[in-house]
Amino acid sequence: MSEPLILLRDIKKVFVVGKISYEVLKGVNLEVFAGDFLAIMGPSGGGKSTLLYILGLLDKPTSGSYLFEGREVSTLSEAEMAHLRNQKIGFIFQAFHLVPWATALENVLLPTLYRGSITEKDVKRASLLLDRLGLQNKQNLKPAELSGGEQQRVAIARALINQPSLLLADEPTGNLDSKSSQEVVKILKELNEEGLTIILVTHDPEVAKSAKKVKFLKDGVFVEE
Amino acid sequence: MKLKLKLLFGALLHKKLRLLLSLIGIIIGVSALLIMNSFGESAKVKTLAEIETFGPDLFMVISGSARVMAGRAMQTEQMTTLKVEDAQAIRNLPGVKNISPVYTGQTVVRGEGVNLITTVNGVNEEYVAMRNYPLLEGRNFSREEIQTLSKVVILGYKIKSQVFGEKSAVGEKVLVSKLPFTVIGVLAPIGVDASGQDQDDQVLVPYTTAMSALFNVDYLTGIFIKAESTSTLPYLVKQVEELLIKRHKVDPKRKDFSILKAEDLVQAKEQTTRTFSSLVASVSILCLIVGALGVAGIMTLSVNERTKEIGLRLALGAQRRDIFMQFLIESLFITLAGGLIGILLGLILVFILLPAFNYPLIVPVKPVLVSSFLTIIIGLFAGVYPAYRATKIDPAILLKSG
Ligand SMILES: Nc1ncnc2c1ncn2[C@@H]1O[C@H](COP(=O)(O)OP(=O)(O)OP(=O)(O)O)[C@@H](O)[C@H]1O
Ligand SMILES: [Mg+2]
Repeated sequence: MSEPLILLRDIKKVFVVGKISYEVLKGVNLEVFAGDFLAIMGPSGGGKSTLLYILGLLDKPTSGSYLFEGREVSTLSEAEMAHLRNQKIGFIFQAFHLVPWATALENVLLPTLYRGSITEKDVKRASLLLDRLGLQNKQNLKPAELSGGEQQRVAIARALINQPSLLLADEPTGNLDSKSSQEVVKILKELNEEGLTIILVTHDPEVAKSAKKVKFLKDGVFVEE
Repeated sequence: MKLKLKLLFGALLHKKLRLLLSLIGIIIGVSALLIMNSFGESAKVKTLAEIETFGPDLFMVISGSARVMAGRAMQTEQMTTLKVEDAQAIRNLPGVKNISPVYTGQTVVRGEGVNLITTVNGVNEEYVAMRNYPLLEGRNFSREEIQTLSKVVILGYKIKSQVFGEKSAVGEKVLVSKLPFTVIGVLAPIGVDASGQDQDDQVLVPYTTAMSALFNVDYLTGIFIKAESTSTLPYLVKQVEELLIKRHKVDPKRKDFSILKAEDLVQAKEQTTRTFSSLVASVSILCLIVGALGVAGIMTLSVNERTKEIGLRLALGAQRRDIFMQFLIESLFITLAGGLIGILLGLILVFILLPAFNYPLIVPVKPVLVSSFLTIIIGLFAGVYPAYRATKIDPAILLKSG
């Protein structure tokens, strides 16, 4: 088998609040290969978001080893981490997090801002992505003028604009009704079938079913169901 | 490029009312600063011009006691002791280039059906040249006209314009205190001199005519003296003073005359200007500080409101220094926008206020540069703290469901 996209060995994360420290991740091991679709479930406060946050290079673990595409993350500089987030990783959040003053199309283009210049090609690609996600007529609307499902589809287009190799989603259907949830899940499945690696955190067993693999995180470690 | 700017700074225009509010302090501060500086610059030009108009090598003896108040020579007490013979005695002193006895009074000038109350200055044939008065038309008095008490008059520019309009006035008749006078000359526009008198609002007649026909007196109100050079002026002033003390047999501490130079007149005015400027300076600096705090406050508020946007930008690949620069530039942009509006507003007000207060109109290059420079400094100063705060945002904020 080829080298994993993600390799976690004994990842620990300790938060220190005042004089008290909380060990949120207590030794997480994980291998994710290109093309995987992993769903992470587990009780609230179990550390799912914290883990996703470390996977997304937005924070470093307190201890343990994290190899992303074979590179040890703890040795990376802030600039290198920012570059990887920009180029290799797409994020989707429960609360969408679109900027309110920009149109759908402009929101999709936001990541290209931190890659360098925004080209005509980027604009075309953003437009095609929105078309594909069924938003052809809504490119110039502001987030406030879109439904929750539509906003999440804009966020998916934004996550895909720089053609990442990994998509991280934290409860992407958490704020959606069941119909919109199903649409989003369908899109994620299609993207995975096209080869995109996806790691998804969810509380919804229906959503988890669409993944190829499901893991449970409880009290800071993966447990067998 | 446009898209790039929109994605970086779109948030700025999102809340327009707030943007405007945050600009107000800066606008007021910058325009006040600009106006204050422009008045300062203009005052310098004005002072020099007034000394020039008065004549830097000129001084006057005023009958009675005179005081300089708010830049004007005010005769506080009338005396009848200054005589034509005094002027003759002064003329014999070494270092005197020109001299003119002066009798100044108020009178009514009537011509073409127009009545005007104005200042009449009785002078001799040397006066026009001493004061560097340019003639618009006609000629100066002749020595003979002075000696023969002729009823001839030279009109100030405003008097001529108000009576005769655009027409030529030379050769026309006007009534001065109901007596017919022939206009022999008209002065070109001069403006206000260091004594605070509008030199365009006066008529000149022979002093002999003024003393006998118009006012029926045997004394002068003043004597104008021109020194041979500016450098000998202080010495000559002293000589004149000693001579008059001797002739009038007065106690040097209780003289019946005063001597005024251009400098004396201007000094008092400069003092007033200086007090005024420092007051306005402190007020506008205060405005700018308040403006800067306003921008800093608004930007901090904005950072606090936009924690999610900041977290998002970090997640999408921004580095902390990108975030820092973004917010610093936003502050700078707000301040510069305020500064620009303030400068424009200030310029408009300068162009309205300078003429309104009888200050010479100048293009305030230096004040504009100073204001622009201060604006940039303030923008940076106001922006650093909010921008620093923005870099401290934890992207974990994104993972909250709200
Ligand atoms: N920055 C932080 N500082 C201190 N404690 C933190 C921080 N972030 C998370 N925690 C704590 O870590 C624990 C795990 O949080 P996390 O958000 O990872 O849980 P979760 O599994 O995603 O829960 P949920 O299902 O409710 O989203 C919680 O107890 C939380 O309070
Ligand atoms: Mg969570």
